[in-house]
Amino acid sequence: MFCGGTRQVTIPRVQVGNMIGLLEVLQDFKGKVDLAKVADELRLELDDILPAVDAAKLLHMLQVDSGDLILTDEGRMLLSKSAAARKRMLNKMLASSGEFKAIIDFIRMEHGGEVTKEELVGFLKDNMPDVDPEQTFSWIVEWGRYALLLRYDSDNGKIKTVHKTSTGKE
Amino acid sequence: MGLTEQTNLQKLVELRNVTKAYGQMAARPHVVLEHINLSITQHEFVSIVGPSGCGKSTLLRIMMGLSKPEDGEVYYHDRKLDGVCEAMSMVFQTFALFPWLNVVENVELGLEGKPFGKEEKRRRSLEVIKVIGLEGYEEAYPRELSGGMKQRVGLARAMVSEPEILLMDEPFSALDPLTSTHLREEVLHLWADPTLPPEAVVMVTHNVEEAVYMSDRIVVLTSRPGTIAKEVMVNIPRPRDPRSAELYRLVDEITGMIV
Repeated sequence: MFCGGTRQVTIPRVQVGNMIGLLEVLQDFKGKVDLAKVADELRLELDDILPAVDAAKLLHMLQVDSGDLILTDEGRMLLSKSAAARKRMLNKMLASSGEFKAIIDFIRMEHGGEVTKEELVGFLKDNMPDVDPEQTFSWIVEWGRYALLLRYDSDNGKIKTVHKTSTGKE
Repeated sequence: MGLTEQTNLQKLVELRNVTKAYGQMAARPHVVLEHINLSITQHEFVSIVGPSGCGKSTLLRIMMGLSKPEDGEVYYHDRKLDGVCEAMSMVFQTFALFPWLNVVENVELGLEGKPFGKEEKRRRSLEVIKVIGLEGYEEAYPRELSGGMKQRVGLARAMVSEPEILLMDEPFSALDPLTSTHLREEVLHLWADPTLPPEAVVMVTHNVEEAVYMSDRIVVLTSRPGTIAKEVMVNIPRPRDPRSAELYRLVDEITGMIV
């Protein structure tokens, strides 16, 4: 399903707020800054920032050019929006292509919009053998919840797709 | 803004000659705060900074009526405060969420004791959850949330009662630097919205840059006993550039008073 070696990785592996925080720092530096300088200013190791850089790159919010982080138009647009509008923007991006779309399709088409955690973890094991399925599940829940794509109730272990009824408001 | 321009704004809460101590007063006990005179006015974002152990958090607790001073009084709208002030709510450094309750249920706790029915409490909670950017996390439990999201729940629980004064005790210091950057922006965004409560914010922090970036006024405390060393107005227009020379100058000035 994920077309071999060139597949596009579209599940960000960082907390949403962490990635947006990086974009905000970038904006404070007028949209362009050396990665090492960001790490130095925030007193962070590079390893602590790279997951946010990767996620933002994945979502086309920033570009990396020989050690510099550059905020893209999409990144600027996300920052200019309200909390609700940011959710809508990420909802569209995540649902439109790549792994996230495949996961949504799996839940929606094959299971009528609801699966158990075990079923989804099984799907991840089968289709993404090179990642830790449990950890990937957590990231799917994190971004799925934020972007109003998925709901997960850990009481009954059910994960379901969100029907687009409430997103049109405001 | 000169002080005279502020006089027509309402004084919300006032500490008059407040002293807080542990142990017998006559025996000259451990004095935490001494002779604190401080008032908080409408439309003000005030930060309290000072070295650790200077009684910053105690001051916040006294302001809300969670702790009684040994001497002095707290006035709320010119009336002496007796007991916990219902018009204030607090955001805690360590979030203080109940692990066995999900996000909506934790937020609903902020309406405990308010005269609303179950459905109205749910409606108000869902509303504030939306405003704070927690939509989608309603049924999540605290253990499933990152620190940033946990603190949003803490903020939502404090905001759901539409407090007149929001008190925040080191709200960002348990978060990683990127997440705290993000949440600070969100709080400023909420603060800039005139349709939303509160009327004033009082934040305790040990982070001087954070205080200067966010506040209209900064109260600098000395340590042991905590007394007010100075009050500094931050007259930098918003939105502020956290990297401006003006801001750094104030940071240096205030840091110099603390160290």
